[in-house]
Amino acid sequence: MTAGESGAPAAAIKGAGAQRRLGGFALQEYALVIVVVLLFVAGAILKPDSFPTWDNVRNMLTQASVVGVLAMGMTFVIATSGIDLSVGSVLAAAGMFGGILVDPEGSTLVFIVGTLAFATLLGTVNAISISYGRVVPFIATLAMFSIARGIALLLNDKLPVSLLDLNGGSFGDPAAFSLLWFGTGRILGIPISVYVFLGITLGAWVLLNRTRYGRFVVAVGGNREAARIAGVPVRRTIFTVYVLMGVLVGVAAVLLCARLGSASPVSGNLYELDAIGAVVIGGTSLAGGRASIVGTFLGVLTFALIFSLMTQLDLSTEVQQVVKGAIVLGAVLLQRPEARL
Amino acid sequence: MEGTPTLDVRGLVKEFPGVKALKGVDFDVRAGEVHCLLGPNGAGKSTLIKCVSGVVEPTGGEIFLGGEPLPVGDPAASLARGVATIYQELDLVDELTVAQSVFLAHEPRRGPFLDLDKMSRETTALLTRLGHEGIAPRAKIGSLRPAAQQIVSIARALSHDVRLLIMDEPSAILDDGEIETLFEVVRRLTADGVAVVYITHRLDEIRRIGNRVTVLSDGRTAATGLPAGTPTDKLVELMVGRAVERLYPERPTGHGDVVLEVRGLRRLPEVRSVSLELRAGEVVGLGGLVGAGRTELLRLIYGLDQPDEGEVYVDGTRLPPDRADRAIEAGLGFAPEDRKSQGLLLDWSLTKNVSLADLGRFQRGLLNVRAERSAAEEHLRALQTVPDDPDRIVRELSGGNQQKVVLARWLLRRCRVLLLDEPTRGVDVATKAELYRVITDLAAEGLAVLVVSSELEELMGICTRILVMREGELVFEIEGSRATEQELLRYAVVPTDTEDFVEEVR
Repeated sequence: MTAGESGAPAAAIKGAGAQRRLGGFALQEYALVIVVVLLFVAGAILKPDSFPTWDNVRNMLTQASVVGVLAMGMTFVIATSGIDLSVGSVLAAAGMFGGILVDPEGSTLVFIVGTLAFATLLGTVNAISISYGRVVPFIATLAMFSIARGIALLLNDKLPVSLLDLNGGSFGDPAAFSLLWFGTGRILGIPISVYVFLGITLGAWVLLNRTRYGRFVVAVGGNREAARIAGVPVRRTIFTVYVLMGVLVGVAAVLLCARLGSASPVSGNLYELDAIGAVVIGGTSLAGGRASIVGTFLGVLTFALIFSLMTQLDLSTEVQQVVKGAIVLGAVLLQRPEARL
Repeated sequence: MEGTPTLDVRGLVKEFPGVKALKGVDFDVRAGEVHCLLGPNGAGKSTLIKCVSGVVEPTGGEIFLGGEPLPVGDPAASLARGVATIYQELDLVDELTVAQSVFLAHEPRRGPFLDLDKMSRETTALLTRLGHEGIAPRAKIGSLRPAAQQIVSIARALSHDVRLLIMDEPSAILDDGEIETLFEVVRRLTADGVAVVYITHRLDEIRRIGNRVTVLSDGRTAATGLPAGTPTDKLVELMVGRAVERLYPERPTGHGDVVLEVRGLRRLPEVRSVSLELRAGEVVGLGGLVGAGRTELLRLIYGLDQPDEGEVYVDGTRLPPDRADRAIEAGLGFAPEDRKSQGLLLDWSLTKNVSLADLGRFQRGLLNVRAERSAAEEHLRALQTVPDDPDRIVRELSGGNQQKVVLARWLLRRCRVLLLDEPTRGVDVATKAELYRVITDLAAEGLAVLVVSSELEELMGICTRILVMREGELVFEIEGSRATEQELLRYAVVPTDTEDFVEEVR
């Protein structure tokens, strides 16, 4: 995004629909940066001993990386004015599929490839039913939400699969390139999964803002008919978005299993809400046509900070769930005047 | 008949951002009369009736209903005072029954429950009053023919105890037998003292159903209260009569090679076997009435819809059907009729709107957004777009300048055949003149341009050749310089001797 000519008088930029930009940075993104800083400061004041510590920050980022990866894919899906409700279930199914491939023995590589492949497969099923079957994304992925959870439970008779010792992993000091190393290992003090999350964020930003494909994605969400008339391959664009979402669910599944040392058929529950929430807080329009990777990134951080803070304040997960839902609802309500245009 | 008119409109003005749609309109409608409203597209007819029905709030002027001032910008108030409107596009829901449609949003009730018996009974009564007791109250709207649906719309208007019925081109979707049926209904209403405003493009209908005529032109009343017997020539002159010096640039002569060839293109019911050729350097006009199938033809050529049969060739190579992306690769460009919903992404910058069809050019691994922006800027400047700041949001531009953004897109793409659908709709006269110059300049540079327009005057002003389309077929072709409005209209409207025609059909 090229910076606006500074000579343009601010008064000339009128209309509620105008996406106000200051030096190429949307207003909402500025606001989120402030929110993130305020939350951190609040944490530091309320829990000065435990909150503003490197350990806590590292922990927060590690946990955020799983939902963060999902949120990046979800940004693309929502930019096309779609939705994917199945990511949490697919994550569990993919992890379980990878798990039974290496149970009782196998290698980290087989687990990763199997998990990615299975998540991609389920993502492709979504893609086909939505783009070629013309099923509404909400319904198609709601069906997959149920299907994938069922598969996850069926794969090992409702039992989790232990992946603890895959390629010599063990808590505390996992061998390099063992599965556990991907979840808990560090390079330069920073967890591997955080590198993965940051790398995917960077890749997503480039894909959305600096490639023709990214432009197509937002065009399809903004005005499908206008996009088609301008020669955008609408169906193919929608198809690939859900496949991409599948791939990223696979990555998130690997990160989660690697951190926990096991694959669980009940993991990933309500992750779709976390991912959608982070995207919406970040300013990507649920109506499509406007998307921000930086916003999503900040949305993920906001969520992570809020939950870390609530956990440290000994609020129960039930309370956290209520708060989570309320935040998402609030974010959508705030978006409304724009969407109504 | 004399006395206080049912509707009295005085000095009505309506300004939209960038366009003055109504510049002072006066007219009145008496009880029991059919007052025809005539005027070229863009003359302000729709805006006028929307002001009366309360959908649009006028900027100035007064509206009296039965001698009392009508609250403006309040559809419910207009409805409560007996103003009902039947729009061109029927606003009925296919899945509802006739009775449900008639009483939609004001269903009779008994306690908290719907009074279905009363609904059905009163629907039958209303339809009987219209002479159409044959339409079953339980029938689904979707199963009815357009004419019957229109009767249901009228019944719905009557259910509100209507004093003034506004009909916006009701005949556009009807065939001739059905039109006679409609007229019969209108005559019954006027006999009951209802005042009717009847908008039409078919001049012959005025004599058949109208009492008086008002002609709108460019947002003003060109003449009001004319007798229905006013000669057609005179009415056409009033419609077109505005003399604008140098509105039209020099007409392109264009005798290049054939670039676009259309053979036997058909998609029923809108388009029936159309063949045409387009040469480099010429502007070909496609005239006709709304609903003649012109937009549908452009969409078929451009590959937005699947044709029943027929082929499109560019430079002798056949385009695959229903593949707009391939048509664009072959050199076609399309500026759709509805810029806002089909042409543009309103919340995007000018740059992104201009480059959308040709992003591949800026992608070497990654998009070069700097090159993209400067290329967009160059083309926007060339078209004298105001503003030409490529970072501005398209929504903020006026209609004419939005159209230039669409044109800039196809110039950037270096397209060779440009399909324009109503390119000057909703554009003021000054910007129209600019667009005409742009279009003829493009032709002079070797583009082949096919223009659909309902303003015959502009077709005569800029086109090398004019084709007239009627009911899905090309019925007439003439050189732009030799065309007259009367002749074009004569071919555009359905044969005037409708009575005989109806007899034949029967």
